[in-house]
Amino acid sequence: MIATELAIGAGVALICGLDRTAALQVMISRPIVAAPLVAWLLGDVGVGLEIGLMVELLWLARLPVGAAIPPDDTQVAIAGTVLAVSLGGLLGQNGLEYQLLCLLIAIPLGKFGQFFDRFARQYNGRKVAQSDRHLESGRFRAMEQAHRMGLCCFGLAAVGTYLLIICGGLILIPILAPLLLPSLDATAPWLRLALPLVGIAVILGTINVNRALTLFGASFGMAFLLMWLV
Amino acid sequence: MSIVLTRIDNRLIHGQVLETWLPYVHANCLVVANDEIASSPLKRMMMVASVPSSIQVEIGSVEEITALFLSGELDACRVLLLFATTADSLAALHAGLKYERLNLGNLHAGQGKTQFSCTVFLDPEDIENLEKLDSAGVDISARCIPADMSRNWRRLIPGKKAGH
Amino acid sequence: MVKIGRWKLFQVWLRLLLLQGSWNFERLQGGGWFYAMAPILRLLYGEKEMLRIAREHVGYFNTHPYLAPAVAGAVIRLELERAAGNDHGVGIAEFKEMVGTPYAAVGDALFWGGLRPLAAGVALLLAAKGLVVAPIVFLVLFNALPLWFRIAGFLSGYELGLRSVEFLQRRKLPDLAIRAKEASVVLLGGVAAFLVFQLLDGEQKPLWLGFLAVPAVLLCGYLARRGISTLLLVLISSALIMICSIFSADVVVWLP
Repeated sequence: MIATELAIGAGVALICGLDRTAALQVMISRPIVAAPLVAWLLGDVGVGLEIGLMVELLWLARLPVGAAIPPDDTQVAIAGTVLAVSLGGLLGQNGLEYQLLCLLIAIPLGKFGQFFDRFARQYNGRKVAQSDRHLESGRFRAMEQAHRMGLCCFGLAAVGTYLLIICGGLILIPILAPLLLPSLDATAPWLRLALPLVGIAVILGTINVNRALTLFGASFGMAFLLMWLV
Repeated sequence: MSIVLTRIDNRLIHGQVLETWLPYVHANCLVVANDEIASSPLKRMMMVASVPSSIQVEIGSVEEITALFLSGELDACRVLLLFATTADSLAALHAGLKYERLNLGNLHAGQGKTQFSCTVFLDPEDIENLEKLDSAGVDISARCIPADMSRNWRRLIPGKKAGH
Repeated sequence: MVKIGRWKLFQVWLRLLLLQGSWNFERLQGGGWFYAMAPILRLLYGEKEMLRIAREHVGYFNTHPYLAPAVAGAVIRLELERAAGNDHGVGIAEFKEMVGTPYAAVGDALFWGGLRPLAAGVALLLAAKGLVVAPIVFLVLFNALPLWFRIAGFLSGYELGLRSVEFLQRRKLPDLAIRAKEASVVLLGGVAAFLVFQLLDGEQKPLWLGFLAVPAVLLCGYLARRGISTLLLVLISSALIMICSIFSADVVVWLP
């Protein structure tokens, strides 16, 4: 049962992971899409929405510009959701505090998962010389084929990152759950707020808008007062 | 306050500069010192076109830009200065354009170039130029975007660590 | 002049969707560019010339994936004209480099910097309300403009060739990107206010506490600027909240 669910997750990880860099860029790789998508396939959209909400803004400020590669929030969101739904079903956990636990474990593991993505890019780089040899000997079809092979590298890297987070989660969550769940229980709603706020803070700190703080402060105050008074 | 960042970047004005460095150092003037771009009106126009109109842009040959700095005209601006090659930055320094720090952004792969970090590829001549800049007291470090770690150039190059 | 069929053009457009498939630090999108252009080159040039021409299409190339079709459309037009014997004085490799970089800069600012946080902000409001349409709204809001640029850019590039770069000359897009970013900052202010209100309302806490969120966000933003990574910020703030909760029983006593 759980194996099927992990496999469904791997499928989504593959497709969304490819969207991230290698193909399409229709943004199904954004956490706000990828997490609800996998959660819907596993039968609990709500969990995906919550996790998408918490992860989406964290690295939104890190733009994929040129050779600068942002952290892989796609796999963090997907693997975090799979852990929350599938492992949660097994452990009999489904509250917000448990979703947060999965996420707080998935986020640092995602950092290690980055290794796979970097490896795929470097592996593609090593193929450049080979592609140039194809060019000089007129084997253009082989060059096109070499480019398509690059897609496989990115696909493998995405699934690799996903599996690393899943494996780490499967080991760590049962160990850490009894320790952390009691304190997460009381703080879960606050953490659910803290994560998007950290994301917003990072965006404000790095966006190139003059007076970003003024605009943000005015808008926050206005909206908050309106909700308070109305 | 004049120069807030000096950077070597083959691509000169592009996304990393506009989206990450510009807000990070609060620059309001982009200066490009490059003979090739300066000599082609079309290239110059294309380069200017990607910059928001609130940012002042100056594009000229290394010589012109050095003269522009020495004239004191840019003293009131917060300048982000861009070179395309190590040779240009060395030439500008020798011509009297003073800067204390040098950021290595993108130096592309090419014939005879060796990869020293994800985005920095150097040939022996580049290393010699950097060596000269370094001994002239310029603090050189590689950092693609502000979110990356800054690494001193000597630490990128095996066998240079002990130097100095 | 050789005629290029619609199907061939569509094939190039489709292949451009895989532009970054072999992305690497040496050439960036170089491999994908050749892959996309190959069908056209094969159509225009014989075995002999192909090698000389192909060399111009394999080197370093990078632009924004949504604006790559605009570059490709113009280059196809230039290739057509070159194959027919008129030269522009601008080499293909030179044109790619000259156009790719500013297109990339404009695309990064407009799509990644401006549009993405805007669409995400709207979607997050819906997600916070628990509405399942949130991801769909995000996809629709975000993708409309890139899709338009991908299609119209390709067609107008193919139509106008060298002159297609004129739309950039008017310098409207970078300023539009700034507007979009300003709008997303305002929207994110609203999102933050909504999330804070939702929490305080749900937890039955005094609402004035909400205004403390502003200095907290500013502090985090300042730390982020100082180079503290997002990962570290998440871990620190989570730890702080958990530690605070231990003492919260004492704090609640003197809250009004």
